[in-house]
Amino acid sequence: MQWIKEDLQQYIQAKEYVDTIIVPLIPYHLSQDSELEKNAFQSEVLSIFAKEIEKELSGRVMLTPNYHYLKSGSKEEELKRINSWAGDALSQPFKNVFFVTFDSTWKKNEQALDGTLIWLPGIQSGDLKSNEMRSFIHDQVEQIGEFIKSYW
Amino acid sequence: MSEKKQQVSRRQFLNYTLTGVGGFMAAGMLVPMLRMAVDPVLQESSAGDLVNVGLAVEDITTEPQRVDWKIDQVDAWYESKVGKSAWVYKNDNDEVVALSPICKHLGCVVSWEGSEDYPDQFYCPCHGGRYHKDGQNIPGTPPTAALDVYESKVENGMLYLGRAHPRGEA
Repeated sequence: MQWIKEDLQQYIQAKEYVDTIIVPLIPYHLSQDSELEKNAFQSEVLSIFAKEIEKELSGRVMLTPNYHYLKSGSKEEELKRINSWAGDALSQPFKNVFFVTFDSTWKKNEQALDGTLIWLPGIQSGDLKSNEMRSFIHDQVEQIGEFIKSYW
Repeated sequence: MSEKKQQVSRRQFLNYTLTGVGGFMAAGMLVPMLRMAVDPVLQESSAGDLVNVGLAVEDITTEPQRVDWKIDQVDAWYESKVGKSAWVYKNDNDEVVALSPICKHLGCVVSWEGSEDYPDQFYCPCHGGRYHKDGQNIPGTPPTAALDVYESKVENGMLYLGRAHPRGEA
């Protein structure tokens, strides 16, 4: 389920069946020209990833809106805010919180996150509409799905 | 003499030409109106179009296999490609059956023999919903209805799928 009106109507009626949230963590900045394209591309790919995972497991998973943060910002500050997102969900009660990201800096702070981090080694560039990309994402989604299912 | 030559009188000639021209004008107005009135009947519904899913019929076995294809979907804001999938197999009467993989409980994607404990059934990983091979839900599991069935046809040896319909409505 996504955070949209239609899905939320269903969610409220079936709350006891939905116990997992997925939060995409996506860095944003406009300061480093050399990184801009790459980061924007990764942001696009991650959004697609998150939607595809949600599609496979929609009955038990809530996909939150993307969590954007300034790339150069302090990670401690962001950790606090991210954990408050997780806290809000955990009190609902959601049992599992997953963060998906391409940003490897979260890997170092993994312990401090109130949830499970799924760090995907980055896709740097490519054509989102190409068949290779589609099958690549499809395969990855399948594996992430398996991983999430192992927590249930 | 002159009376005999003049077989068409001036009055008759004018009558003929005026009715002719008037008739044309009336027809020119009425035909588009008529077309407009009948048009909705002639128009094919675009949503129900059957799409070639890229699977040859001879490759369909009695074992359900998953096919994925894309359709163009236009909604109020933008046109987009939407991925669709189905479980396709041949039943005992050698007919092609295409089932929607969307679980009737909360919409997860079911898979054929998705759980080792339940062979020969569709299994939903989210809440353990199960369906028989023909798509009927198994009582005692969360789903309360059978899997939707796709409209399908076979043309030139290829499988075409359309919209998925709930059981009993198709």
